[in-house]
Amino acid sequence: MATDATPSGDGVSAGEDRMSTVRRSAVGTIREGFTTAPALAQGLFLTFVLAVIGAAGRVTIPILLQQSIDRGIGEGGVDLGLITRLCAVAAVVVAIAAVSQRTAVYRLGSRAEEGLYALRVRLFDHIHRLSLADHNEEKRGALVSRVTSDIETLTMFFAWGALSWLLNLSLMVVVAGVMVAYDWFLAVVVFAVVAPLLYVLRFLQGRLVRAYDQVRRENADMLSTISEAVSGVETLQVYGAVEGQEQRVRIRTKRRARTSIRAGVIGAFLFPSGEVFSVLAVVAVVGAGVARGPDAGLTAGALIGFLFLTYRFLEPIAEFTEIIDHTQTAVAGLRRVLGVLDTPIGPPPPESPIPLPAGRLDIRFEDVSFAYPSREDARAEEPILRHLSLTIASGTNVALVGESGSGKTTMARLIARLIDPSQGRIVLGGVNLTRVANDELRRRLTVVPQEPFLFAGSIADNLRFVDERASETDLRALFDRLDCIEWLDSLPNGLNTNVGQRGAALSAGERQLVALVRASIVDPDVLILDEATSSVDAITEVRLSRALARLSAGRTTISIAHRLSTAARADRVIVVDEGRIVGDGTHAELVAKNDAYRDMYEAWVRATEAGGS
Amino acid sequence: MNTASRVRTARELLIGLVSLHPWSFTIAVAGAMIFALGTVASSVGIRLLIDDVIVPGFTAGELPAADFAVVAVIVVSIALVRAGGVVVRRSFAGRTEWEAARTLSDRVIARVLSQPPSWHRRRMTGDIAARAGVDADAAVSVLAPLPFATSALMLVVLAVSWLFVTDRWLGLIALIVLPVLLVFNVRYQRRVDRHYSAAQHELGSLSEAVHESFDAVLIVKAFGAEERETRRLSAISERLKRARTQAVSLRSTFEAIVDAVPSFVNVLLVATGAWRLSEDAMTVGELSSSVFLFTVIAFPLRIVSYLFSELPHSASGWKRVQEILREPVAAHPMASIRHDSGGRIVVRLDDVTVSHDGQPALNNVSFDVRAGEIVAVVGPVASGKTTLLHTIAGLVGADSGSVTVSARRPALVFQEAFLFADSLRYNLTLGRDVSDERIDAALRRAEAYDFVEEMGASLDAPLGERGVSLSGGQRQRIALARALVHDGELLLLDDTTSALDPNTEARVVENLRGGNDATSIIIVASRPSTISLADRVIHLDGGQVVAIGTHASLLESSAEYRRLIGAFEADRSDAATPNEGGSTRGD
Repeated sequence: MATDATPSGDGVSAGEDRMSTVRRSAVGTIREGFTTAPALAQGLFLTFVLAVIGAAGRVTIPILLQQSIDRGIGEGGVDLGLITRLCAVAAVVVAIAAVSQRTAVYRLGSRAEEGLYALRVRLFDHIHRLSLADHNEEKRGALVSRVTSDIETLTMFFAWGALSWLLNLSLMVVVAGVMVAYDWFLAVVVFAVVAPLLYVLRFLQGRLVRAYDQVRRENADMLSTISEAVSGVETLQVYGAVEGQEQRVRIRTKRRARTSIRAGVIGAFLFPSGEVFSVLAVVAVVGAGVARGPDAGLTAGALIGFLFLTYRFLEPIAEFTEIIDHTQTAVAGLRRVLGVLDTPIGPPPPESPIPLPAGRLDIRFEDVSFAYPSREDARAEEPILRHLSLTIASGTNVALVGESGSGKTTMARLIARLIDPSQGRIVLGGVNLTRVANDELRRRLTVVPQEPFLFAGSIADNLRFVDERASETDLRALFDRLDCIEWLDSLPNGLNTNVGQRGAALSAGERQLVALVRASIVDPDVLILDEATSSVDAITEVRLSRALARLSAGRTTISIAHRLSTAARADRVIVVDEGRIVGDGTHAELVAKNDAYRDMYEAWVRATEAGGS
Repeated sequence: MNTASRVRTARELLIGLVSLHPWSFTIAVAGAMIFALGTVASSVGIRLLIDDVIVPGFTAGELPAADFAVVAVIVVSIALVRAGGVVVRRSFAGRTEWEAARTLSDRVIARVLSQPPSWHRRRMTGDIAARAGVDADAAVSVLAPLPFATSALMLVVLAVSWLFVTDRWLGLIALIVLPVLLVFNVRYQRRVDRHYSAAQHELGSLSEAVHESFDAVLIVKAFGAEERETRRLSAISERLKRARTQAVSLRSTFEAIVDAVPSFVNVLLVATGAWRLSEDAMTVGELSSSVFLFTVIAFPLRIVSYLFSELPHSASGWKRVQEILREPVAAHPMASIRHDSGGRIVVRLDDVTVSHDGQPALNNVSFDVRAGEIVAVVGPVASGKTTLLHTIAGLVGADSGSVTVSARRPALVFQEAFLFADSLRYNLTLGRDVSDERIDAALRRAEAYDFVEEMGASLDAPLGERGVSLSGGQRQRIALARALVHDGELLLLDDTTSALDPNTEARVVENLRGGNDATSIIIVASRPSTISLADRVIHLDGGQVVAIGTHASLLESSAEYRRLIGAFEADRSDAATPNEGGSTRGD
């Protein structure tokens, strides 16, 4: 599940004590969020001051009432002139407060957008630079949700939760201040009556946080079960398992509804609790205020004003449930985002790069070992390559063969510096690969992966991904050079043929063909080719091998061979088994002398034997 | 959309939603009504506190204890009743909303799963899943504020009436201001929603671009295009930021105005009230309680505007859900397959023609498969091999001709294995009760037992978790084991074994051969070793059966067939004679 696949090892363990851990680290998470996206914190103090001034607008009316009652309405009747003047002043104060509040809200919102934008850009950059080990199929969905839905939770937070925090906090501060200024004794009465509310809130809030946690989990489970049911519909129908799957979905939707309703009920009790306590405080204030009476210097107007202030004081409690939910979601989202930024990026760029020599390049493996670091477990995973040493002369055409999992793909990735060795080093043209600038490496070396990725768009778009300025004539020339122009011309729209999502409009072989042409644009000195395993029809097969022969001619080429015919055509074959080299030589030599290779070869011959029994 | 049709849409939406769970909705509205009455009553409580306790108390110089006790009980009781109303309203509004979402999701899934594959093929999987999930949630979202909004309108009527009863001038001010405020709220909402939907649109394109960009990570890295991709995505994010900032600007102005207007009106109320006081037309308590009442109804008014802003969102979700529910269930091709019991022929195609969206896929195909026979289907890409298997499995309907399948429980293994994010057991049994022995046997025959064992995964551990990713070949073998667990009399294998290495493939096919004699197999294959294991070969090209016969006889009689198989032959002879590499290719 995407939302559960938290790549960061932030040490939050599921279990009974989860609450306290989350609460403690929530503050840390927010603080780190501010340092990561400084725009979020910029000018926050001024924004708060403006919000406090804005909150003054909401206490204007109680003060106006107090002033009017105490000064304007006396024994001698009503002083309309004074009250009119007071009202005029109040109107001006309300207007100023409104402008101030508007500025505060805008500042908060626009800064938040600025900060989140910066955070997104940082994430894009970081994720693109993450090592391939962090880019596998399982983690990809999670990475996408980091930059979309997780950042969205922060957007939602700043639009609602943070705004509430800002406005309500300033309101409570201002109201409490005015209360104390009016009559400290009554203020103490209010605080004393209200104090137990803190316990009620704490009690309900804990429940609410857990309830919302559960809602999120159930929701994620429900959505994945639904999408599975839809994606697997053909399988379900063929195996008559439709009803069972329907039942599974029904269980999920029921559980999601139940937990959501439960969270709603907790919120429903929390929502009016502020008002109930306000009323209790109001009654206490009136009782205490009248009992103390004018002797203590209290006026009827002040008491009425106080009564209004008491209501205002606890108004924010009503929004508490929403604030809690948004804050909690946002902190969780932020924590995941920071977790991605914590993940070290893939091969780090060299501090002082060394240029590669001109011309074709040779490749040396010097005592290279490799194991994918495992984040989930404390133990590192089994090494894929073990103490491997090897020299590939420049301009040779080398085939790597071995069973799947033997380490040949890892070798290719190491040469392309998509990953770095755990031990030992790779030397390209006499230069340690870790000292080669990324730009230069990508100009000199190209990879054609097994399942080449094509972007949705035309064939020309996909080629221009490498060279934006290439003209149509340039692009056609490329096809011509690889001897597959007749394929291009057989397409209804030629270069402008739409390849569909991920190239789905083309066959696997055709995708590979486009990928070869794309690689040829770079004109690399080293070519790394991961041969496709999927079956390709005969005609495309012929085209592919012809294009490949043209492309690899004269370059240092490393092919991960799945067909032994590819190996047979290579200058040199290297047999890999369990991370070690177990055979090295030409095809003919190996067939003659190497048992492992001969076994593979014989299996291959049997499989392609056409004659049958 | 004009106002009339907008009102009609809203009415349809609300009636449709409420009728899903009318009782819990009614209770929520009742709670909301209690809340509205309680709100007006609480302003009366304020008046009692001022006129009966504070004012006389300050005049007399002591607390009127008896009156205070009575008023205190009244005020606290009103507050508790009002709070009770809120609890009932919120609890039942929530219940109405989530139960409605559940009902809609269940209905959509039930409908969607009974539609034939051709229906699904015309649509995006993600889109259908969204309709059953997030769209259903969107559709019901208006149910949350609906009871409150209903009571807010009632509150406005009550408040205005009450103010009129208190003093006609104050009532007049309320009568003018409240509707204006309401309209202002709704107007603003519509304007700001435009910005938000623009932002939503940008968010959609961002998430699409991000998906593609991260999927392409290998290519991006291979061509050193990291910075370029970051720039491309940043540009979209920039547009998103701009749309959002505009919305924020509009919203901050609105928030400030909506907060300030009740204050301005209250200033007006105080000024007017002072004048009425000077004429002895009202008391301080009445004035204060009017001010109080005006303060507390500002919030419910915002709920009304919130409701209006949820309406379009809700309506579009509702529409997308209804589109699925209103569409009749198309006839399933499985229903048109004939079932003959007994006899030696397990599958018979008689002059079958199939097309996809008007494009012919199979033309006048006829052949029989006998019990226990293994038939290989061979042909170039797009020759109709997959369509043929899907037609026999009842996933694709024939335009003409007849398909007769007398084998019990035919099982199809798809070209791309679909695995559920559940246990290995569920993936194999799909929820049916199957003994562990039968599962183990199926895994063995599919050559999946060893790697499953090696992974250390128990039958009930979730597949694909904790980074255990399965290779294409492993997924295929699990899908094959699923078909074997199914224990039918007909196996349809769509290029199932091609992702395996030749050795494993050979073992799998041998296992299948050596299985139950009653099981017939139709297999789409491309490796000569696999093809040669078949009893007969059907050679397809361009949706037509070019030839049927044994592999050997086709090799002999058909030049086209020889050419097709030739690619492999050439490949092998390349390997066999490396020194003459390439000599047989390219012609």
